[in-house]
Amino acid sequence: MSWSDVGTIAPVVIAVLVAAAVLIVDMGAPGHREPIVVTALGGLGLVAVSILIQAGHTGSAFGGAYSLDNLTVFLDMLFVAIAALTIMFAGDYLEPRGLPIAEFSAVLIFAVTGAMLVAGSTDLLLLFVALELMVLPGYMLAGFARQDPYSTEGAIKYFLLGSFSSAILLFGLAYVWGITGTTRVDGVAAALTTAIAHGSIQPGLAMGLAFMSAGVAFKMAAVPFHYWTPDAYQGSPTPVTAYLSVGPKVGAFAIALRLFVGALGPLKADWLPVVIVLAAATMTLGNLVAITQDNVKRMLAYSSIAHTGYILVGLAAYAGGQASGLSAILFYGAAYTFMNMGAFAVVTALQRRPGVSSQIATFAGLGRRDPWLGALMALFLLSLTGIPPLAGFWAKAYVILAAVQAGGWLSALAVLAMINAAAAAFYYLRVVVYMYMREPAEEAAPSSPGLLFRAGLAVTGVATLIFGFFPALVTAATNAANVFHG
Amino acid sequence: MNLPILSLITFTPLIGAIVVAVLPSRRPDLIRRTTLAFALLAWVMSLVLLAAYAFGPAGFRFNEAIDWIPAFGIQYRVGVDGLSVLMVVLTTTLTWISVLASFGPIEDRVKGYMISFLVLEVGMIGVFVALDLFLFYIFWEIVLVPMYLIIGIWGGANRVYATMKFVLYTLVGSLLMLVAILATAFAYQVGHGGSWVGAFDYVQLQQFAATGGFGDNFQILAFLALFLAFAIKVPMFPFHTWLPDAHTEAPTAGSVILAGVLLKLGAYGLIRFAVPLYPYAAHTFAWPIIVLSVIAIVYGAIVSIVQPDLKRLVAYSSVSHMGFVTLGIFVFSPTALQGAILQMINHGLITGGLFLLVGVIYERTHDRTIAKMGGLAATMPIWSTVFGFFILASAGLPGLSGFVGEFLVFVGSFGIAPGIAFASIIVMVLAATYLLWMFQRVAFGTLSDFLQGLGGHLTDMNRTEMATLIPLGVLIVVLGLFPSVVLDLLRAPAQAFLAAAGVAVGG
Repeated sequence: MSWSDVGTIAPVVIAVLVAAAVLIVDMGAPGHREPIVVTALGGLGLVAVSILIQAGHTGSAFGGAYSLDNLTVFLDMLFVAIAALTIMFAGDYLEPRGLPIAEFSAVLIFAVTGAMLVAGSTDLLLLFVALELMVLPGYMLAGFARQDPYSTEGAIKYFLLGSFSSAILLFGLAYVWGITGTTRVDGVAAALTTAIAHGSIQPGLAMGLAFMSAGVAFKMAAVPFHYWTPDAYQGSPTPVTAYLSVGPKVGAFAIALRLFVGALGPLKADWLPVVIVLAAATMTLGNLVAITQDNVKRMLAYSSIAHTGYILVGLAAYAGGQASGLSAILFYGAAYTFMNMGAFAVVTALQRRPGVSSQIATFAGLGRRDPWLGALMALFLLSLTGIPPLAGFWAKAYVILAAVQAGGWLSALAVLAMINAAAAAFYYLRVVVYMYMREPAEEAAPSSPGLLFRAGLAVTGVATLIFGFFPALVTAATNAANVFHG
Repeated sequence: MNLPILSLITFTPLIGAIVVAVLPSRRPDLIRRTTLAFALLAWVMSLVLLAAYAFGPAGFRFNEAIDWIPAFGIQYRVGVDGLSVLMVVLTTTLTWISVLASFGPIEDRVKGYMISFLVLEVGMIGVFVALDLFLFYIFWEIVLVPMYLIIGIWGGANRVYATMKFVLYTLVGSLLMLVAILATAFAYQVGHGGSWVGAFDYVQLQQFAATGGFGDNFQILAFLALFLAFAIKVPMFPFHTWLPDAHTEAPTAGSVILAGVLLKLGAYGLIRFAVPLYPYAAHTFAWPIIVLSVIAIVYGAIVSIVQPDLKRLVAYSSVSHMGFVTLGIFVFSPTALQGAILQMINHGLITGGLFLLVGVIYERTHDRTIAKMGGLAATMPIWSTVFGFFILASAGLPGLSGFVGEFLVFVGSFGIAPGIAFASIIVMVLAATYLLWMFQRVAFGTLSDFLQGLGGHLTDMNRTEMATLIPLGVLIVVLGLFPSVVLDLLRAPAQAFLAAAGVAVGG
């Protein structure tokens, strides 16, 4: 290890220090919200600056185990944005329930540190360690409302299935290491290319591929490995759900990019059918089950499964020969982050008062009770539906375009995705129906959230619009971040 | 002339929506008048456009193009030919009439309603002026949201069901259309050495199609996707089932726009995109589509006879009338196509007027059941006279515009399919049956018990209501007597359409 290595991973190091600083500040003034939030958000701002300083540079640290490239920069920025937004939304929810904001922020920043490390990992072992660093705090966050049996139940399910899937993934990684003799991503890719050229692919690789696919599919919540998602999402405190629905999901796709595209790219013809089947099953089942949900958190959980399916279409398009599929994944991940966090933020705002459920009836008459909140929720839901010209529309359009370009079975997958998108309109618009076409329940009180919360909502709303009206700004970043062009 | 007149017309309502959004909700009258002012402004500008276009050469004019997403050659590209100009004028005309017609009936959440209406107008005009397929798709989807809200918030008792049905039907079609549009652009890109420049440009794509750029199998798939989207919107039999529900539940002005403009979006899409881009597929499916059109014409008329509800009756008659439009498009004859386009305009004016008239009755009775009506001719003489006028126009009385459109479709299709033309002429008799029978039950006889019970509420039309109907009536007479005003504008688009469809143009 040298000082230049530390320089390369500076954002990760700073993030760890920020998490520690949050805990120290809390020791100085326990129970005070403002200093915590200022430290956390200010610290994350520093992290963002350090990432932006690295933008455009490439490099590697620790003998190639960690790589700094545009993909790392893009994903790191996204993770920092996720963490900052979560902290902005969390205060108004945690405080009335007597849950500590300091621990929450620290654990969250640790989780994001793990995610940032995943983004830059180019070594199978580091990838695994980083993944664990990302998900372990996630289990803690899911069970953050210790007194709430649902929160605990969701956390236990998430923990058990999550650990199980980590073990499966590790098992798969072991196969790859055993066969190729290296854990470096580029080394694995080179070894596989040579093996393919010599026609000497070993059957063990298929085993490894199967285990790794299952492990990553668990993390992404792809069908049929999605069973932990609805319970974990519904049981968790709502700001945590907002984080879980985007943070670990984008993280899981970061693994897919580094592992499947980076290391196992030469085998893409072999994993393409798997991804196609996963994508088709994931979006279809996610949507069908979401239609029947009466709880908005649970509905958004199933819808996030469906969105995993759409993102997988982009991965499949890459395997089908269209490198632009990966840019589409990144665009989708970023667009989904803002619109979905926005939707969860509105749910959070409504649940500010303890005891308010996330049932769809809570939304009755929101358009009249709180026009701004209602309009924002409508914006996020329309974007999630994919109505142009909003963020979610371009996300889908780019994925579909890549799939259509790849042709063959992928065109059929594109058609299936669009039929699914039409079905999804039903459950998204159902919430709009409640907000605008039903009378408010009697006891529903106005939910005036704090200034920070409003700022967070404004960020997600403006991002949804900017992604929608000026997608070229974002595609410039996603195309630069697509380091796998050729 | 470098004035971006198309953008001005398209986005004037958007500016109006923003202005209305910042007005205080406590002043509904100010909101109503501001909305009307912007709708009228857009209308006046569209009339200027019509005049400017009519006294100039044919083809796409007033073009504007700005790069939007250069990586894929997607542009903000607009331009109009005679067909688009007429559709834009139809849209702006019906919009201000609808806004005016909403002054009385809409009392709840006026601000949201008026914003929805203005945004709706942006989408509708945008569809007619867009010459970039992607832009077209975006405007197409923008139309959906405000209409969803208008039906769902300000509609009748069963509004939520109706509006969801409307949205889901439309979305299934339009999302498949998106796949087809992307696939078309990609096929163009492949055919141009991987360059995306012009891949979404309608004029470029059409030239590419004319040179046989799109393969036969590709055309079949892409055409089917576009056709489904447009057929649902028209709506063609058997995709029409959302229409009666949506019409019945929508507020009056919503029904006017739905019948007057939204259905035309589908027909416009067929004429502008589906046939010229995929001529081989259009010919392959011409006969099945002609048969579906005739079924729609006959079925719509027969079902109209038995409808117990005034609005539902008018809605089903729309299915029948729009059948003439699709028939006129797919027989590939210049006369029939001009008739079909004229029929689009006529249907917008006549059916729009009928919905307004039904709305007048509903305002006073809060009922639309035909069986409960009767004897209105004596109590509401002005209303009954105007209603009779629109009924006769809808039934195709010579001298009024409804006759000309349908007649041209007959003449045009007779040379190609005499049997089909004959079958659809019988429908004229059916139309007279259901329309006049309905008129008789509503207007003649003694005042029904139900209406007697309303007493003094049953006043005749007021000035606002007349102000919404008189312009429509005047246009119906003018187009009935001087259809060449419109037909002259349509000659060039019709020839371009047939040339693109690969049909030799005679006469």
